[in-house]
Amino acid sequence: MMTPSSETPGTLAQGRVPSHVAAMDPVTRRRALKGAAATLAAPAIPASAQTPTLAPPRRADQPLFGAVSWTLENGLKVVLAENRRAPVAAHYLFASAGAGEDPAGKSGVAHFLEHMMFKGSPNIPSGAFSQTVAREGGQDNAFTSRDVTAYYQIVEASRLPLMMRMESDRLREPLIPADELEAERGVVLEERRSRTDAVPRGRFREAFDAAMWGPQHWRGRPLIGWEDEIRAITRQDVLDFHRLHYTPSNSVLIVAGDVREADLRRWADEFYGPIPRRDAPPRNRAPLPAAAPESRMERRDPAVRESSFLKTYAAPSATWGETDLADPLEVFAHLLGGGTGSRLHKALVETGLAVSAGAGYDGDTVGVGSFGVYATPRPGIEMAQIETAISAVLADLVQEGASEAEVRRAIRHETAGSLLALDGLGAAPRMLGGALAIGLPIEFVEHWPQRMAEVTRDQVNKAARAVLTEPKIATAGWLLPG
Amino acid sequence: MSDTLFGVTLPPRRGFSVPIQSVGQGGITAWLVEDHSVPVVSLAWAWPQGAAADPRGKEGLASLSAAMLPEGAGDLSNVGFADALMDAGIGLSFTGGRDSFEGSFRALTDALPEAVRLARLAMTQPRLDAEALSRVRARALLASRQSLETPAGLARRAFWEAGFPTFTAGRLSTPESIAAIGQDDIRACLGAQLTRGNLLVTASGAIDAAGLKALLAELFGALPEHPIPDTPPLPNLAEFGVTLRPKAAPQSTLVFGQDGLLPTDPDWEAFQVALRILAGGGFTSRLMKSVREERGLTYGIGAGLDLLFGRAVIIGNVQTANASVGEVWSLIRSAWTEMAAHGPTEAEVADALAFLGGSLPLQFTDSRRTASLLLNLRQTGRAPDWLAGRPARLAAIDRARVARVAARVLKPDGLVLAVSGEPVGL
Repeated sequence: MMTPSSETPGTLAQGRVPSHVAAMDPVTRRRALKGAAATLAAPAIPASAQTPTLAPPRRADQPLFGAVSWTLENGLKVVLAENRRAPVAAHYLFASAGAGEDPAGKSGVAHFLEHMMFKGSPNIPSGAFSQTVAREGGQDNAFTSRDVTAYYQIVEASRLPLMMRMESDRLREPLIPADELEAERGVVLEERRSRTDAVPRGRFREAFDAAMWGPQHWRGRPLIGWEDEIRAITRQDVLDFHRLHYTPSNSVLIVAGDVREADLRRWADEFYGPIPRRDAPPRNRAPLPAAAPESRMERRDPAVRESSFLKTYAAPSATWGETDLADPLEVFAHLLGGGTGSRLHKALVETGLAVSAGAGYDGDTVGVGSFGVYATPRPGIEMAQIETAISAVLADLVQEGASEAEVRRAIRHETAGSLLALDGLGAAPRMLGGALAIGLPIEFVEHWPQRMAEVTRDQVNKAARAVLTEPKIATAGWLLPG
Repeated sequence: MSDTLFGVTLPPRRGFSVPIQSVGQGGITAWLVEDHSVPVVSLAWAWPQGAAADPRGKEGLASLSAAMLPEGAGDLSNVGFADALMDAGIGLSFTGGRDSFEGSFRALTDALPEAVRLARLAMTQPRLDAEALSRVRARALLASRQSLETPAGLARRAFWEAGFPTFTAGRLSTPESIAAIGQDDIRACLGAQLTRGNLLVTASGAIDAAGLKALLAELFGALPEHPIPDTPPLPNLAEFGVTLRPKAAPQSTLVFGQDGLLPTDPDWEAFQVALRILAGGGFTSRLMKSVREERGLTYGIGAGLDLLFGRAVIIGNVQTANASVGEVWSLIRSAWTEMAAHGPTEAEVADALAFLGGSLPLQFTDSRRTASLLLNLRQTGRAPDWLAGRPARLAAIDRARVARVAARVLKPDGLVLAVSGEPVGL
């Protein structure tokens, strides 16, 4: 992130203190929906059908956002998800390049560039971008994941053309002023300390990824970069990354909000159209290591007060390996460890072994995905008890498989709230942009709830066996007090 | 008149207003912002007290009690209750805050009856099973202990403990106080909190006044009617100077602050302008420019008004490498002194007013955020027309007024600091 994100801290009412510590999670479809759980199975019955402005009832086969998309002559993909609730527009530009594209030995370049993109372009002086957005009553920020770098502004709808003017200028040519590089390197190093170096759980996660994939593998490097490599990044590295990856045909523009298609077409042509077409290199992600450098790690940290267990498996994703397994793995993660009532919750939390236990799947990625299980033991519970209990749950699922009822329940839970993604202007651009920028079609998002509904028990059990019994690599790790 | 910026013509802004309806039912009044563009309804409600009523030695009671409500109710076990919520995509939560006890849900319109049924069940027939208490307590203990793992957690805690040593806002839960809480305490807490008395409700989304009336009767009708005492007024922040919680880490967290003003202060909004210029959001504040942009000493610095017990405290935070702590603290105090002594420039005031006025529509794109914003307004004692009057009030603010209120409120010598890490140069 360019700045610590804090949703407009209470300018109207109660002031909320900016947290200044925002997670740099990769944006995925599912994460955008987190907290939004609801039901395809239940037909939508509008509560007050007499109200003339009521949205028409939705059918299960309707696209989630009803977004329209087209491509400019220079290759820039444009997507519009209209939402007329308030006269507001969200403007997101996704570059199809993230920390996974950092050159070998130069982790952190993608993220450093994200910071330097706020330091001016030929027609917009350094610092003027954010100052202009603020003066117009808007918010702006940016984020870097392993697969994408995204820049966004949320503004009153009439200010959208101004945003497009400014964003297209830095897409074409950021200045990267040499005399601002060192102060910004200081900012990035402080960001690293805030996220990782001063946070024991951040240090552990970083060490865990390096242990599993290798510290110089694209999947094992920290998104923000290793400290010594951040220190070594040059202005030329940053410029090269932009020149190579920030091309119109390697970018996706998403607008959500109170905007008409004809207007957006005109503005896209006017502001983004003139940027010359340039080809970007295809993603070139190294294959998996033959084995995890460490298949087991135990890290003691004097700052830690409570131990944690984590085991992660390499897994197919929506773009890698047996991509058909991606949706079933999403379902499997829920029935295994998606909160109260899941297998891990029953076996570890309800029994008093653990304070929390769960599973997660990150499959909306370029290249290999990951499937993980975790637990935080109750005081006095031995490490072996936790691992034995988890192994028993997994062994039963591998041998007996999940039941039909469990699979249907998980699908219902995962999709019941899908329409809640329409509440607000954050989910549409993040879900659509996140998918398109990693090469998935728009239908991947628009018909996601339907696809989930079609997942079968056999597919879930096949996917579970594939990941748990024959993972390409896997690592188990403990973070322990001391 | 149209302006032009970077070659782009800026049309006049579209008009925007937020009609707030006041809906009464059975002694309860709810504020409603109705919007049928998306089939979603969000509801938020609150009572005074929360942790303010935690008995000494049982700090954490309100928070733990709130966490127990979704752990099974009526004939639904904890799993049954969680399943019912997830089956319908309902997000329901209860929280015990510093000076309030709150509930909220968001549901698709077709799931609204189920959301009301489950929220009502949780409030009227919570099971409070012993096993559930054991799980919830373990979770609270873990969170309490994990919050002490980082300089950020330690510094935050130190600020409140040192700032209000004899007041409830400074009495935070500890593993011991959480362990001391029993089922009877939770019953007593919920019995006192869950009432139709002093209840504030707000709603946003695809529901009309008649629908909301019916919902209020259904959701809250079965609660008892006893009133809840008002919370005590917030005392002055203790002038504790600098307090340090040592922690082995490469970076320190600084939490700084001073007394704020009352929300009824006629210069409340003029002071919001002053504070935004000094330390507010985004890149534009003086502190962000001097500490981050020019010197690269932090990822972020900011301060805001934190409203509790009817009064605002100015509180800010920043994280910086241990070696820079002295320099950053000195920059903060200089910026504070400069703003108190000379106020902002004309251009800074114009920019801040443009932001505060222009950002209004952005607060109303999300039904949960809208309901929560309305609830905050009510907890602050605002009238329903407060929002509508805001543009006119902002228009009446000029540089001189901002400078006056900055000089009156900002006390560079009274600025206190809680710091954790291994700071150098203090």
